Amino acid sequence: MAALTALTMLTAAGLAGCSSSSQTELLFFQFKPEAVAFFEQAAADFEAENPDIRVVVDNVPDPETALRTRLVKGDVPDVLTLNANGTFGELASAGIFADFADAPVMQTVTPSYAEVIADLGASAPGAVNGVPFAANASGVLYNEEIFAANGVEVPQTWDELIAAAQTFEAAGITPFYGMLADAWTAQSPLAPLTAQTAPDDFFAARFAGDTTFEQGWEEAALKLAELYEYTQDDPGAFGYQEGTRAFAEGESAMLLLGSYAVPQIRTFEPEFTISSFALPATDDPAETTLVSGVDVVFTIGADTPHREEAMRFIEFLMEPDRVAAYAEEQVAVPCVEGIENDDPALAGVQSYIDEGRIVGFTDHQFIPAVPLTQLLQEYLATGDTREFLVDLDTAWDQVAQRRTWGLGAVQG
Amino acid sequence: MATTTSTAARRAAPSRRSTARRPGGERLQPAFLWMVLPAFVLFFVFHTVPVLQGIFYSFTDSPGYGEWNWVGLSNYVALLSDARIGSAYLFTLQFAFVTTILVNALALGLAVGLNGKIKFKNTLRGVYFIPNILAILVVGYVFNYLFSSSIPAIARALGAEGRLSTSILADPQLAWIGIVILAVWQATAFNIIIYLAGLQTVPGELYEAASLDGAGRWRQFRSITFPLIAGFFTINMVLSLKSFLQVFDHIVAMTNGGPGTATESVGLVIYRGGFQGGEYGYQIANAVIFMIVIIVFAIVQLRVLQRNEVSPS
Repeated sequence: MAALTALTMLTAAGLAGCSSSSQTELLFFQFKPEAVAFFEQAAADFEAENPDIRVVVDNVPDPETALRTRLVKGDVPDVLTLNANGTFGELASAGIFADFADAPVMQTVTPSYAEVIADLGASAPGAVNGVPFAANASGVLYNEEIFAANGVEVPQTWDELIAAAQTFEAAGITPFYGMLADAWTAQSPLAPLTAQTAPDDFFAARFAGDTTFEQGWEEAALKLAELYEYTQDDPGAFGYQEGTRAFAEGESAMLLLGSYAVPQIRTFEPEFTISSFALPATDDPAETTLVSGVDVVFTIGADTPHREEAMRFIEFLMEPDRVAAYAEEQVAVPCVEGIENDDPALAGVQSYIDEGRIVGFTDHQFIPAVPLTQLLQEYLATGDTREFLVDLDTAWDQVAQRRTWGLGAVQG
Repeated sequence: MATTTSTAARRAAPSRRSTARRPGGERLQPAFLWMVLPAFVLFFVFHTVPVLQGIFYSFTDSPGYGEWNWVGLSNYVALLSDARIGSAYLFTLQFAFVTTILVNALALGLAVGLNGKIKFKNTLRGVYFIPNILAILVVGYVFNYLFSSSIPAIARALGAEGRLSTSILADPQLAWIGIVILAVWQATAFNIIIYLAGLQTVPGELYEAASLDGAGRWRQFRSITFPLIAGFFTINMVLSLKSFLQVFDHIVAMTNGGPGTATESVGLVIYRGGFQGGEYGYQIANAVIFMIVIIVFAIVQLRVLQRNEVSPS
């Protein structure tokens, strides 16, 4: 009898548990390790305002691989933050994400950043498969104090940049801190170098087979190798973590990274002002452009049963106060019109953003299967320019050849 | 891959099979069937079916999601001319051969030592087993730190310029040595255990007789110990080679395939190209080829090594 009572009570408790779980559960796939606290707080605030929704924040390391692994299992998350890069474009063109072209929230977005998203790839003509949230500015970060102490002005041309590096080296200061153990860090300076030295239509021509990396990228590759001559010893032994720390501790004058690295550097509490400038790759200051991409884009799985709830969450995240708070915290460029970020680390590049002298990341044009990162790391270790460019061409051609279903929207 | 393990285990215990048949006579006892069947069903559903599914996808251009088309053998043809795949195979074979030989030589030597009359025998056996219970990834990051920071710092403090004062993991020519050191350090423990088990089976009288006949230590090892534990040597060689061919965690923790593609193993390329690069079908084809390679190596190894085995009974 006692057992029966216990059983009844258990059942009742179970039922009670069920009735409170009429909540909708949203799986929020969050890619940005630097912003874990921000998004967890935002999710908690959202839950407080929307008691019918529970947001499960899934902060994933190695997000692109994690996402692809989920896709292989047919398991698309409800809401996602992603970096708007080549992989995003490829997945968007495969129809994985919902279309936001007619969503009211898109009215608030800066049009040029909505365009960046659409250009990466879309599920259908005219579709926009993500809501841009924050952008970055990728140039050179520098230590204002060291620059002032050595009487170095912000370089306006390539020659001035190299001259500055030589001045620092002569003064016993590491000009750039190399972080090649994390191979992707080399892509940061590669983007402005290729954008300014290769022809404007380089990728269109490369997709059409009318040009090669050997023809279009030689100058950029040589200049990249030249930059890495001015690093500390053994740059291949150190990664992003060590590099950002060393810069924060004043060990190097410059860091070849974008604004996205500033929050990480500030965790080491530097005692100087971090500033930035656009990397000049030519000797004509008018040719210099700033590389800027959408760092965080929101999107929704195309087939999620919780579309309406997911949309409500995104609208909540896109409220101007929240966008501004994020931009301030992450030293990002807000993608919502009318909001500006006056962080000193962005002051040096603000004019480029205002004037629209902006280009996207070169590597976002790449088919993800081409091992650009690896080839780049190899190149900077061996210094063989010809081999690097030939390998890049070979890898590109082979991937293009075996991919029967097209090269994704990167093609167009 | 699991097939090779089970073959090795089956081969290693041929005598047990004959005793199992005896009590039942001609008819198979249903009890045996019931013991085997659940395992077989689980193996079939969770291993064989996915393998067959994978083989199917190797003939498609699937990125792992969405639509795909039938492409026949073109993935396999493309594999042949892919330099990145070729260098991954070369690296993996070189790594697996070197590591297998080092691990077995070291483990055999240590096992003979730990089986002898020495002080603190049990403590030492425990100490030598510790690497086996540590996760490779965790140990890998520790070794990574040793190679990229500690060793160069020590070398510089001692005033040694040159090779040791920079990280060998950052050198495309030498990075693989770092991975071999980690793999050998980690894998020797498990092989010692198997060799120790083998050494227990060697009857002590044989050594007494041999020493009466005037055989020295080395002669005893060559003529008695090694022939009698040759079966264990075979198992260790086959299992080591198989697991080192599949090397993955070591590399992720130490170099992540770098510098460049210098230390990319086949397993790492399959994972990277398939999941990060979105070439699921293509890399599955690579995996099918690699599975065949591993099976062939295991069979050849068993054939060659078993020829030299003797039975103690």
